[in-house]
Amino acid sequence: MKESPYWNPRHETMPRDQIEALQVHKLKNLVAWAEARVPWQAARLKSAGITADSIKNLNDLRRIPMMTRDEWMQAQLDKPPFGPLLAAPEEVAVRYHLTSGTTGRIPLQVLDSMKDWEWIAEMWCYGFWGFGVRPADIVFFAFSYGTFVGFWGAHYASEKIGCLVLPGGNMTTEARVKQILSMKATVVCSTPTYALRMAQEAKTMGVDLAGSSVKRLILSGEPAGSIPATKRLIEEEWGAKAADTAGMTEVGTIMVFECEKQPGGTHIIEDHFIEEVVDPETGEPVGYGELGERLITSFGRGFIPVLRYRTRDLVVRVPASGCTCGRTFDLYEGGIRGRVDDMKLVRGTNVYPRAVEAIVREYKEVDEFRIHLYTADGRQDEIEVLVEIPEREGVNADRIVSALAKSLAQAHEGLRFGCKQVEKGSLPRFELKAKRLQDDRIVIGTAGERRVTV
Amino acid sequence: MKNAMGVELSESERTLVETYQGLVRVLKDGKDLAPFERRNAMKAVAALWQVVNGLDLDPGNLYEIGV
Repeated sequence: MKESPYWNPRHETMPRDQIEALQVHKLKNLVAWAEARVPWQAARLKSAGITADSIKNLNDLRRIPMMTRDEWMQAQLDKPPFGPLLAAPEEVAVRYHLTSGTTGRIPLQVLDSMKDWEWIAEMWCYGFWGFGVRPADIVFFAFSYGTFVGFWGAHYASEKIGCLVLPGGNMTTEARVKQILSMKATVVCSTPTYALRMAQEAKTMGVDLAGSSVKRLILSGEPAGSIPATKRLIEEEWGAKAADTAGMTEVGTIMVFECEKQPGGTHIIEDHFIEEVVDPETGEPVGYGELGERLITSFGRGFIPVLRYRTRDLVVRVPASGCTCGRTFDLYEGGIRGRVDDMKLVRGTNVYPRAVEAIVREYKEVDEFRIHLYTADGRQDEIEVLVEIPEREGVNADRIVSALAKSLAQAHEGLRFGCKQVEKGSLPRFELKAKRLQDDRIVIGTAGERRVTV
Repeated sequence: MKNAMGVELSESERTLVETYQGLVRVLKDGKDLAPFERRNAMKAVAALWQVVNGLDLDPGNLYEIGV
């Protein structure tokens, strides 16, 4: 029998009307489960007049109240540590994970049972199998195995597929590169930033990664996996194909993956999630091809039912026909485009870190960079991009810096970018989610718009 | 045997579903299972749940048997 290119061939090639019928069926089950087992969810559903029986089609989904991260955090603060969101007794859990906390926020804490944990790996299997990973592969994980869920599910997905797994936690970058080479890894999993970091290290070591046995990179954790310039650079440096994936701790796993056809976007795993795209201001749905915020409803993790969760991720949904792989799962063109709250307003111009990265990565000589916002003379917003350009034969750093400043200004309505070269090794390196934007402006008013106090 | 979408399952698929159902029954009713029997059966059920779920057969949740 010919091997299927799909993990679940029946679901991945279902006609759209059948996908939607399946989603409605699962949604009814999910609502019934949440009503019965989570009083916190039941009260929300009741206040909106929702019962499982009242759900007839996908339009009924929109009657369910959206759930925000703030609500989740508040619920945890009200009833620590997990909030009143659990649908099963804590003692049934076999895994504990949490989101990475940032300033002013508390991390979200989650639990999974045996069945849920297995499901988390199952979702990664869609992505790994869809990108061509097979039992004969040797998969290296450049991942610090900790409470951040990250690549945990991918690790178990690789085992499930039958690959040989190399868990590369607690290692220096040099040691990781050496192990990838000595063990003849064929697949490497990391963030896009760290894939480039390993490539830089390999150069320093005098190693030609492009000549190694690595054939595929599976990227996650940052939007850069779908930024064409970044991805192209990673593929060139490694001499391998790179696929983007995206997940979130709130559902425990990935909800989108890039298939082997590399259509410039990621397929939504529509038999396990309902993904909606809405206007972040009004909450109204936006159509195919329009930028909006993802909402997620997950059918997988029964421990914490998630209905219409506002992700703050910006995406552009397009029909499945945008890819030639035969899947009927729709796509997010360009993957995750950024975060709703990523946008910075600088002297009246919108600046998205992802857009800046897309331009910086066109300059292959740049090893690392930082976007720095500050207030000049106590009154004016300024933006500068600091770059590290290692000395190499034939590389004119001054010319690169000047050309970069010009490219950035052209892409941002003429906004002046103060590009500067900084000392090699002076900018931070990242293994997980890269934080390359530093905003030191004096703050007044709403996020994204800052003005000086006088 | 048809799934929730009205699709007839193949013989191999039916066997997997029946194995899952049999294991769940044993875990619910079997009071005399040794630790190695119960915990390995639970692992197997967690894996087979993915199959039954992927076949659209509404496997439900298994927290009452610790899975």
